[in-house]
Amino acid sequence: MHFKVRAAAKEDCKDISRMIMELAVYENMADQVKTSHEDLERDGFSPNPFYECLIAEVPDEHKTKDGYTVVGYALYFYTYSTWKGRSVYMEDLYVMPDFRGKGIGTGLMAKVAQVGVEKQCVRLQLSVLEWNKPSLDFYIAKGAEDLTAKEGWHFLRFHGQTLDTLAKEAPKD
Amino acid sequence: MDRFKLRKAEPKDVPDILRLIKELAKYEDMEDQVILTEKDLLEDGFGDHPFYHCLVAEDPSEQSNNNNGPVVIGFAMYYFTYDPWIGKLLYLEDFFVMKEYRGFGIGSEILKLLSHTAVKSRCSSMHFIVAEGNQASIEFYKRRGAADLSLEEGWRLFKIDKSSLLKMSSGPEE
Repeated sequence: MHFKVRAAAKEDCKDISRMIMELAVYENMADQVKTSHEDLERDGFSPNPFYECLIAEVPDEHKTKDGYTVVGYALYFYTYSTWKGRSVYMEDLYVMPDFRGKGIGTGLMAKVAQVGVEKQCVRLQLSVLEWNKPSLDFYIAKGAEDLTAKEGWHFLRFHGQTLDTLAKEAPKD
Repeated sequence: MDRFKLRKAEPKDVPDILRLIKELAKYEDMEDQVILTEKDLLEDGFGDHPFYHCLVAEDPSEQSNNNNGPVVIGFAMYYFTYDPWIGKLLYLEDFFVMKEYRGFGIGSEILKLLSHTAVKSRCSSMHFIVAEGNQASIEFYKRRGAADLSLEEGWRLFKIDKSSLLKMSSGPEE
């Protein structure tokens, strides 16, 4: 199947929002999605964007039963390692179930890799849920190393109330 | 010491930031892995497109050797990331206070200021990673309410190195 990978435009945010929800459903976390397509437009397409996005499109004759031609996306941003410098972090990679197995995920990720290399990034990072075997296999086949297993890295966060509590005690300007 | 000052890093702080980065790497037994130079830090933090933001802590009672003002004794490096479900996040990349300055609450104050920055910037969460062997740091964060998403939700961190990126990006075009 022929497909095209291109940089997302502001108008693509409705499709991106739709697919974000589909990916959340796949990860059993649909109730945690709070962003709207307007949030995505504001945060990705203002002078200081917080993410970049690539989308995969199929020709009209292959559109989904609901009429969509945008069938996958990769959302990423730049991070920084104090040891090695610029990095790219791929936050989401998703292809609609009916369009898997056709190289679209690989195509999206290859384009993220290309963008990263062009921007002089030394590595790409991502995270995967430990039960998500198809994704684990997909990334490992591309050379991904599990740093949680190898070096013991854990993700931590301060969220909601715990963040507010800390913030209230900050030294005044 | 009973007084210290937190402020935004400036280009002149780059040599101190690199010094502290190397001290932190040494603490994690990974000193030989720091390949970043002062030039990289200057360009990447204070150029047209900053890849990071930095806070420094200084001791006003001690002057630095190089006439740069008070000695810099701690730093925190952070940047903004994005969670497609909840929007902007503040990501804490590195956080370090020199050994002789620990136990005075400097780390706590840095964390509070970062949290305030996060909330002010409309971030709903502050994320970071810690090595599971680093019990002192894990305790420090958990005491203040941090949740371990790797344990609670099963998230694993992966990396793909440049050689694999080059291989991927030069693959067949559709």
